[in-house]
This record gives sequence, structure tokens and C-alpha cells, in this order.
Amino acid sequence: MSSRCAFKGENSESMTSDYAIETDGLQKIYRTRFTGRAFTAVAGLTLRVPIGSKFGLLGANGAGKTTFVKMLLSAVRPTAGRASLFGRDAQEEESRRPVGYLPENHRFPTYFTGAGMLDFYGALSGMSAADRKRRIVELLELVGLETWGDVRIKKYSKGMLQRLGLAQALMHKPRLLVLDEPTDGVDPAGRRHIRDILNGLTGAGVTIFLNSHLLSEVETFCDYVAILRQGHLALEGKMSSLLTKQGVVITVRDVNEQAQRLIAGMASTTRVVEDAVEFTVPTPLEANRSIDVLRAAGATIYSVIPTTSSLEDIFIEITGSSRNAGARGEIPGAEETVAAAAMSGVHQ
Amino acid sequence: MSTESQVLRPPLTAAGSQPIHLSTSPLQVFLALIWDTVQEARARWLFWGLFGLSTLLILFFLFILKIDVVQGAISFMGLPAGAGRTVFSIEKFVRSAYMFVAIFLYVWGTFLAIFASAGLIPSVLEPGRIGLLLSKPVSRPMLLLGRYAGTLLVVALNNTYLIASIYLIIGWKTDIWYHSFLYAIPLATFNFAVILTVVVLIGVLSESAALSLMVAVALMFISSLLAQRQIVVNLLNSEWSRQLWQALYWIIPKTWELGKVMRDLILREDPAYWIAPLWTSAAFGVAVFLGAVARFQRKDY
Ligand SMILES: Nc1ncnc2c1ncn2[C@@H]1O[C@H](COP(=O)(O)OP(=O)(O)O)[C@@H](O)[C@H]1O
Ligand SMILES: [Mg+2]
Repeated sequence: MSSRCAFKGENSESMTSDYAIETDGLQKIYRTRFTGRAFTAVAGLTLRVPIGSKFGLLGANGAGKTTFVKMLLSAVRPTAGRASLFGRDAQEEESRRPVGYLPENHRFPTYFTGAGMLDFYGALSGMSAADRKRRIVELLELVGLETWGDVRIKKYSKGMLQRLGLAQALMHKPRLLVLDEPTDGVDPAGRRHIRDILNGLTGAGVTIFLNSHLLSEVETFCDYVAILRQGHLALEGKMSSLLTKQGVVITVRDVNEQAQRLIAGMASTTRVVEDAVEFTVPTPLEANRSIDVLRAAGATIYSVIPTTSSLEDIFIEITGSSRNAGARGEIPGAEETVAAAAMSGVHQ
Repeated sequence: MSTESQVLRPPLTAAGSQPIHLSTSPLQVFLALIWDTVQEARARWLFWGLFGLSTLLILFFLFILKIDVVQGAISFMGLPAGAGRTVFSIEKFVRSAYMFVAIFLYVWGTFLAIFASAGLIPSVLEPGRIGLLLSKPVSRPMLLLGRYAGTLLVVALNNTYLIASIYLIIGWKTDIWYHSFLYAIPLATFNFAVILTVVVLIGVLSESAALSLMVAVALMFISSLLAQRQIVVNLLNSEWSRQLWQALYWIIPKTWELGKVMRDLILREDPAYWIAPLWTSAAFGVAVFLGAVARFQRKDY
């Protein structure tokens, strides 16, 4: 991990990492209380989220996305592994100070008014009363609730609650925004509104980490994506390279540690398939180079295939639904596709 | 309190550009958590419920109860009999009246307080709520402590309101002021503070308000039962069962004894034994609260 200051000259003593989120073999095994049966929700995830990126974590319901995020924010204790936020161990309280979080299935206490809720959570983040007052006005306006500040939130619609939740997450000007299914249960207009707000944050270096089971949401918004399946990282890469229709998929076996590092350096996307590693490089020239160095490192090249697959194809393949249905051409849109994938997915 | 600040940059371009200073002061967090608890108590009508019932009781004392009886007694006993002896018995009579009122308020206040507070602890642990709280730069013990203190504050305010009002009313009606009546405020609040740790522990363990309530009320009864040592120790026929009874007696908080301390203070009898019930109850409270914190630290939400 190199040490470089992400924001020119400012606050350099506290910036020790290029990554907003860094995890190392982060794992969660849930045990049922009486039978002691173990269930692996997140299986040793190693993930790096660069500062300033918009990172989407995709996966069907039950894939472990929420558990992963909760481990970052200390609501869930990891069974094994490490996590850090901006280079600071995630177990320290202070590591959470620059983080804004919009949980999934939140239930904000209904006795709050919109403004009262922002005030309370702002105070917990350490904001002064004057800052809170000023910021509440700004944020209610930003999320289009300027006339609702004094209304108790039990009168809010789902979409309004979600926007208020977003305002809450933005209250203390976080450097990292963690959003767990932010548009879940929100109508299309509301979704658009949320997306517009998030787009308005770009350029300020705010890192956004987005959990979603909706491919379309991640596809249109994120520049990095990782796909989670049954707690395992199924795919990870830059959105631009995942969306390009051209590239070369190289499948390698006998991957030792050195080869693994080489792949990480060259690949635009990586996937682990049983005992093999499958990765993509953008051009045939790079494919040749990769093959040379990997062979030198002792790995076995298993296959080299030019690819045209889009993210949607990859996602469907990984979540494994429409192949069985055999009707890819009839699927009307990405959202429905993913919903189907989620339903036939790991759980239920 | 540490007020070390850090400036978080860069600001969001979308909304406002002034940098925000985030203080790391635990005091601010503590006060915010207390305020949140009071707000919740208000919104759930617990606050007004407590104060409303107290007000009813106060009105009862103000209008309905004929405290003039005392005056009557004074005039009845005062006129014909010899001065010295009569004054003594009147004073004793009034003191006993005070004592009964104090005991009644102690029991009444504690029960209402337990009923009112049992919901306030588990509610903050509800999924969908605790996750966001934990994501703030706030330690788990602090979260629990803030809730605890907020609940205690509501009850302490109510105890003060109730007992001080009745003290004023009786004093005003009889013109006899027994300041020791006011000992009921700290004693009732202290007893509740100890019981509340049990509500916290059961709340963390079970996340059930009903169970917290049951255990807290049961504990008060058990405590009063255990306090009948003199009687029971003679009834128990084996040495070990007597030992067990004694041990339990010393471990469990001493609601009964604290009531007795109050009685003696009002009757101007020196409660020579008041230190032991106080510190053993406090030790119980601290231990139970630490247990709740330890469990809370390891839980997933
Ligand atoms: N507290 C818990 N105890 C036991 N299992 C849990 C718990 N929380 C989540 N799980 C299980 O872990 C898996 C991952 O859940 P989750 O992280 O919520 O997935 P996602 O957010 O991707 O839908 C699910 O199968 C879920 O049933
Ligand atoms: Mg989830």
C-alpha cells in the first residue's frame, strides 16, 4: 500500500491510504443459537475501493452485501479478516467518523421530525449546533424536502424517507458514503431523484460504495463493480472494461501467489472459477504479454477466448438464472432480469 | 472533555461549501443520546403518562384527602390534655402519616417508572435503528450509557415533581414541614437506578420490553421476600439453605431495605444500617450494567 495524499496538501497526516475501503479476508460465519449450525454469509472477501471511486457491490438477495457493509461499520463482528477505512482499522470508532451510511430497511424513530432527525445524527457525528442548523437547511433543500423539515417522519412516504436517509448520510460531509440498496422500494421518479443527488456529489472526491441487487442501478452510476455470490467474490473490475464489448478472456490454472499478483496487475476483470482464474485483458497484445509472464511464473494457460460479453451477460451468468430459463431474448429489461435472478437465487 | 477537532475535506459541491468541523467530544454525544431518550419518552406518551399520573395523585392530595383531619386531631387532642405529652403524640401521628405517604409514593413511583422505562431500552436496539447508531463514531458502551442516563433522568424528574409537590401540599395544609420526607426523592431514584440496570441487561439479552418488565418487577418482589431474613432463617431447616438465603439477600438489590431506611429517616430513627443496603445495591447495579455492556459489545445487529 503506497502512501500518497489524496487531497492536495490538506490534512495529509491522517491520509495514509489510497483506499477508502480495504478488506483482507473479511469473513462472517453466522451460527444459529441452539443448533450451532454455521452459515457463511461472507467468505473471506478481499476488496479495495479506491478513494473517489463509485463502487457498486452487486449480488442477489442473500449474497452477503449487507453483512459485508455491516462489518465495515462495526454493526457485525467479523469472524475473521481485517477491514480498514481510509487506512484506519475499522474497529476504531474514529474510522467511522468520515463515513455516511444509509442502511437497508432502516426504521428511523417516528417521533423525529425531518429536521430533528438530521440534527440528532449530525450531533452524533460530532457536528456543532451551528453547523447542524446551517446544514439541515442545505440538505433538506438538496433532497427536495425543504417544506417538510418540521413534519414528523411518520407522515413521510417511503421515497421521502429514503431521501431523508440520504440527507442524514450526507449531513457531516462524509468522505465515504455507504448506501445499502438506496432505491429499494422507491418509485422510478424517486429513484431518479436519488440518482441525481448522487451524481451531484461527483467531483468532490467523495467515495461512494453502493450495495444493490439491481444491475441497472450499478451499471449507470458506478465506475467500479464487484459481484458477490453466496458470500464469494465472483467478479471485480472497472466498469469501463466490463462494458467494453471487446477483450480477451484468459483462463489460467495452477495459479500460485506470484501469478495471482501478476494477474491482479494486468487484468481489467478477474473471476475465480473453481480451481481456475479467469481474467480479461482489453487487447490481444496485452493477452500475449500476460500469457508470457504467467507461464514464466509457472501457471498453466487453459484457454484464451476473445470476448464480447457485456456486464449484463456476466451478471446473469454469475447469478445463474436466465440460462436455466433459456429465454434471454425475452427478458424485457435489466431490472426484471436481476429480480428474477434474485428470486431464484441462493435463498428460498 | 476532549474537544480536539478535525476538518474533513473536501466539501460536497452539491450542497454547501463551508468546511465542517467535527468534534470528538464524548460529552456532546452523551447529551445527544440523553436528549433522544427524553424525546422518545415524550413521543411514546411515557413522559406525559408518568407526569399525568403523578399530577392526578397530587390533585388527590390537594383536594380530596382531608388533611384537615390532622388539624382536627391537633385541636381534638390539644385542648383538653396536658401540653407536653399531647404535642409529642401529635407529632408522631403526623410523622406516621408522612411515612405512609412516603412509602406509598416510593412503591407507586418505582412501579410506574419500571413500566414506563421497560420499552425505552429495547426500542433502541431494534434492527433498522441500531445499525445506523453503531455506524456513528460512538462506542457501544456510550450508546447504552446514554440511553440509561436519559431514562433515569425522566424518572428522576418525575420523582422530584411528585414527591416535592406532595411535600409542599401537606406542608401547606398542615403547616408542619418534615424535610426528611424529601429523602424519598433520592432513595426512590436510587432504587430505580439499580432496577434499571436489570431492564438494560434483559433488554440487551432478549430485546423484549415485556420480559424486561417481568424480570424487573419479579426482582423487586424477590428482594422484598429475601429481606424477611429474621423470619425465614428460623423457618429454614438446613444450614446450606440458610446460607443460600443470606447470600441471595446480599447479592440482590435491596428495595425493601431502602424503603425502611426512608421510613426511619422520616420517623427520626437513626437508620444505623443504611450504608450496607446502599452499597450492595449499587454494586449489584454496576455489575449488572457491566454485564449488559459486555454482552452488547459482542452482539451482531
Ligand atoms: N443475524 C443473522 N443471523 C444469521 N444469518 C444471517 C444474519 N444476517 C444475515 N444472515 C444471512 O446471511 C446471508 C447474507 O445476508 P445479507 O448480507 O443480508 O445479504 P444481501 O444484503 O446480499 O441480501 C443471508 O443468507 C442471510 O440469511
Ligand atoms: Mg442486503
